[in-house]
Amino acid sequence: MEALIRPEFGLMFWTITCFVLLVLLLSKTAWGPLMQAVNERERAIKHDRHTAETARAEAEKIKSELETRLTELKAEIRSRMDEARVSAEKEKDILIEEARKSAAIIVESSRREIEAQKLEAARDLRNKVAELSVMAAERIMMKQLDHRANTDLASKYLAELEKERPDLKMEC
Amino acid sequence: MGLKEILEHHIVDHVWARFTLGTHVFPVSKHLLMLGIASLILLVVFPLLIRSRSAALAPFRSIIEIIVLFIRDEVVVPNLGHKGAAYIGYFSTLFFLILILNLLGLVPYGASATGNLAVTTGLALTTFVLINFAGIKEQGLVGYFAHLVPKGVPVWLYPLLFPIELIGLVTKAFALCIRLFANMIAGHIVILSFISFIFIFGSLSVAVGFAVAPISVGLVLFTLLLELFVAFLQAYVFVFLTAIFTGAAMHPH
Repeated sequence: MEALIRPEFGLMFWTITCFVLLVLLLSKTAWGPLMQAVNERERAIKHDRHTAETARAEAEKIKSELETRLTELKAEIRSRMDEARVSAEKEKDILIEEARKSAAIIVESSRREIEAQKLEAARDLRNKVAELSVMAAERIMMKQLDHRANTDLASKYLAELEKERPDLKMEC
Repeated sequence: MGLKEILEHHIVDHVWARFTLGTHVFPVSKHLLMLGIASLILLVVFPLLIRSRSAALAPFRSIIEIIVLFIRDEVVVPNLGHKGAAYIGYFSTLFFLILILNLLGLVPYGASATGNLAVTTGLALTTFVLINFAGIKEQGLVGYFAHLVPKGVPVWLYPLLFPIELIGLVTKAFALCIRLFANMIAGHIVILSFISFIFIFGSLSVAVGFAVAPISVGLVLFTLLLELFVAFLQAYVFVFLTAIFTGAAMHPH
């Protein structure tokens, strides 16, 4: 059993030689290519992730931009609508006011016309009544004045006239 | 045949041949064969798996990738910092070599090379070299040794603490070596003991032996599963502690 705890120098030598050679050879043949492949893959993954992250950031930026634009548009639409409503209100008021004014004018003018026509009609009526009464009076007068009275009146008027205008006095 | 012989047969290395080179003797043994098999798997199967583009092998590729990434993200980088990326090859190789050596011990006719003190000492020595290499490379030779003693220690304690810290350097590596060795050997010893129970009780009476057999086999299966877990765990622990020590050598705080 002493052989168990008595290291054999020869085997130790072989072990070290073997191991050192293995390290040198495997670094070239096995671990080198393996690490290269792994590093390449890791780089590719990193690159992919980077690309994906930038794409996502881009997308988020665009999204936020769109959202802000959307809210801006909404606000604009609302303000435009409000404006339009206010102006329409104003327009309506103006129209109603104008309509009211023109209606008042029409009412006023027609009343004036009616008044004028009424006056005209009254004047007409009065004239006609006056004429008719004059004519009726004339007729009545014509009927009442007889010939004698007319000659008395005529001679009276003639005498008055001769007194006023002696030059016209006829010699009788 | 006693338990001692059985244990020796199963746990201790079988040396098949020795050849001498100068004054040193180099054995060709079962654990060396396991080391060779593990190296072959690592050198041939891993590069093929990693380079292959076939869908059928994709799961294996993913497993290797997941483990290497775990070592990079959870073990190396937190301890060594971002300069540690250069050491990923070392830590990955260390992990997979220990793991495959551990697992080969669970394969029939296999043996745990990591249950051999020589192998674990070899691994611990490379770790020791790595710790000091990384520390000196990061802080410079003078800075490294100046920072061996933690900050805030009174000056008069330096003569006492400096040797302690120097010993600590060695102890870290030594602990690594012993930990892996003991963990791998313990499972095998427990399994062999459980199997031996059958024959120990069987020597009392055959009936008792048969009665004990199912219990023993059940316990052996449980221990085998535990060993499977320990195989992964110890590989991870070895790598993790190496990373912590290396990180501590690189960034003294």
